[in-house]
Amino acid sequence: MINLPLVPAIIADIGGSLIVIIVAFLSAQYAYRLTKIQPENFLWGFLFYLCVAMTAFATSRGVGHIVRQFLILSGNETAWRTLSPFSGGINTLLITSAASVIIYYHKWLEAYEAIQIEVGKQKVANAKLAETAEELHEMNLNLEEIVEIRTQDLSISEKKFRHFFENSKDMVYFCNDGGQVSDINQSGVEMLGYQERPDKLDLHSFFKDVEDLEKYLQTLHDNGFVRDFEIEMERQDGSLCHALLSANAILNEKGEVVGCEGVAKDMTRIKTITDQLISQRKMASIGQLAAGVAHEINTPLGIILGYSQLMQDDFSKESEEHQNLNVIERQTKACQKIVADLLKFSRQSASEKVQLQLNDVIEDVISVTEHSLNMAHIHIIKELAADLPLISGDPERLRQVLFNLINNAHHAIGENGNVTVCTSAPPGNTTITCTVTDTGRGIPAEIQDKIFDPFFTTKGVGQGTGLGLSVTYGIINDHDGSVILESPTSSGSGTSFHLSFPILITKTNI
Amino acid sequence: MRHLNILTFITLFTLVLTGLPSPCHAFQSHPAPEGLYVHQMSHVLFIGALAYLYWHLGKSSLIASRGWHYMRLFCLLFLVWNCLTFAGHASYSYLSVDDFVNMGTWQSKIALPVTPLKLLYYLTRFEHLISVPAIFCLFIGLRLFYREVCAEEEK
Repeated sequence: MINLPLVPAIIADIGGSLIVIIVAFLSAQYAYRLTKIQPENFLWGFLFYLCVAMTAFATSRGVGHIVRQFLILSGNETAWRTLSPFSGGINTLLITSAASVIIYYHKWLEAYEAIQIEVGKQKVANAKLAETAEELHEMNLNLEEIVEIRTQDLSISEKKFRHFFENSKDMVYFCNDGGQVSDINQSGVEMLGYQERPDKLDLHSFFKDVEDLEKYLQTLHDNGFVRDFEIEMERQDGSLCHALLSANAILNEKGEVVGCEGVAKDMTRIKTITDQLISQRKMASIGQLAAGVAHEINTPLGIILGYSQLMQDDFSKESEEHQNLNVIERQTKACQKIVADLLKFSRQSASEKVQLQLNDVIEDVISVTEHSLNMAHIHIIKELAADLPLISGDPERLRQVLFNLINNAHHAIGENGNVTVCTSAPPGNTTITCTVTDTGRGIPAEIQDKIFDPFFTTKGVGQGTGLGLSVTYGIINDHDGSVILESPTSSGSGTSFHLSFPILITKTNI
Repeated sequence: MRHLNILTFITLFTLVLTGLPSPCHAFQSHPAPEGLYVHQMSHVLFIGALAYLYWHLGKSSLIASRGWHYMRLFCLLFLVWNCLTFAGHASYSYLSVDDFVNMGTWQSKIALPVTPLKLLYYLTRFEHLISVPAIFCLFIGLRLFYREVCAEEEK
């Protein structure tokens, strides 16, 4: 039979007790740390109390076992018998304590579950909050991007329209209902006769015709817009400007007109050109008519003149018949002159053009007319350019032109005044100009477009045929030149006729 | 309610164990075996508590950590240890001085013949072979919890 030695059991008892005590303390340390990190977690609290109970039990039991072994082996069994009930009692109490902690585990768990549910709700709420925050963040980012893109678009658009506004060659303006301009571009400022925009600008004050202004405002209020409205504006310097105006009304929330925005185009030059074209066409038509009439009348007049001269031979010079035939002859010749003038106006008469110096022609005419002008205390002022280029022209007919103009000046002045004849050849120009200016009463604006018409005259019956300026017009046109009337002149009175002739191109001045 | 039932069962069981028929006096004396009985009852209570915790941890859906598996293992091993210790105390109470040789020395042995009771007692003396792994399971479980919590806090 084999005995069962108790030494292994004793060694296992001592060693095992030590290990259990040490590991129990380490476990308690971890449990303690857990409660410190997450004090709100009831499960860590449970484990901590369990570990405390287990460590106390392990220590009590382990120390008891070790002490027992040493006391018994050292022959102090009696001492152990004294201690044994205490050791066993403490162990019993500690086992019960550990069991008690475990028994109430479900309470710990309930508390933990309740907290976890709350934590879960909190997590869900936090997650939703985070999600919402993220959405808001993204929206905010998108909003910033959208705002940035819109701002860029707006900036480009603003720049584009500002560029258009600033550089438009037409007037672009914004004004209130009373006509006070709130914004206007530089072209508009210049169109109104200013160099720089004044502080206060009333657009309505530039309307020359009050009726135009009333019609403009009425249309704007009735229709909300005005389209291609032709007006005459009086510039700041007093000169006239023809403008074509289009505008839109600016309405407030109640639909009331509080102002307008519009564009005005300067049509002065176009109107002048149009008027000139109309005038030229009119003059051409009249010229054709006059030429036809002149040709038709010229033949019978020649016959009348011939027969009247023949019949004069049949009567004595003192006879009444001879005197009557003389009247017929004289009036027939007057008619022939008129016909000749008509032919000159219509450029049907023959002319011989040569190279000539216009200054010489002017000198010739002045030498003839100077005497009669001096008689009426009218002074001739000559401002003739030296080295005036040659022109191609009929000297006889040009003399007639200048004679007509000086004669008209004489008639316009009456007595006491000046007639200025000046010539010039602006450098770089292909024309020379000759201006005849008088200090007379001027030509009223309403007849200025008729003065070149044949038979139009302001003189009394018998004082003129009304063909002088018509013939002048015809001759100048025949020389490929132009005649422009200016009345009143820049001095504020009198009349100027500006003649221009193309410079003769010769081998020397090419 | 289920926990209450378990507690009721443990209480009734304890009462049955302690409610042995004996003369009833106004003042009950406490002879020597009483301490052993109380100690044994505490082991039974501990067994019940550990069994309850083992069962409860197994069904809890909230507990997902690996550390709780070690806690369950701790419960199981300690439950076994309690049973073993209970058996050791019980078997020792049936042995006498004559069953041991050279008591109080390093040469102490269990006297022949080796009966099942003696063998049971001998085996129970090695109860630390169970208690040491059990306490290590508790330690490992707690260390896992600690590391998980630290990692969670770091986030």
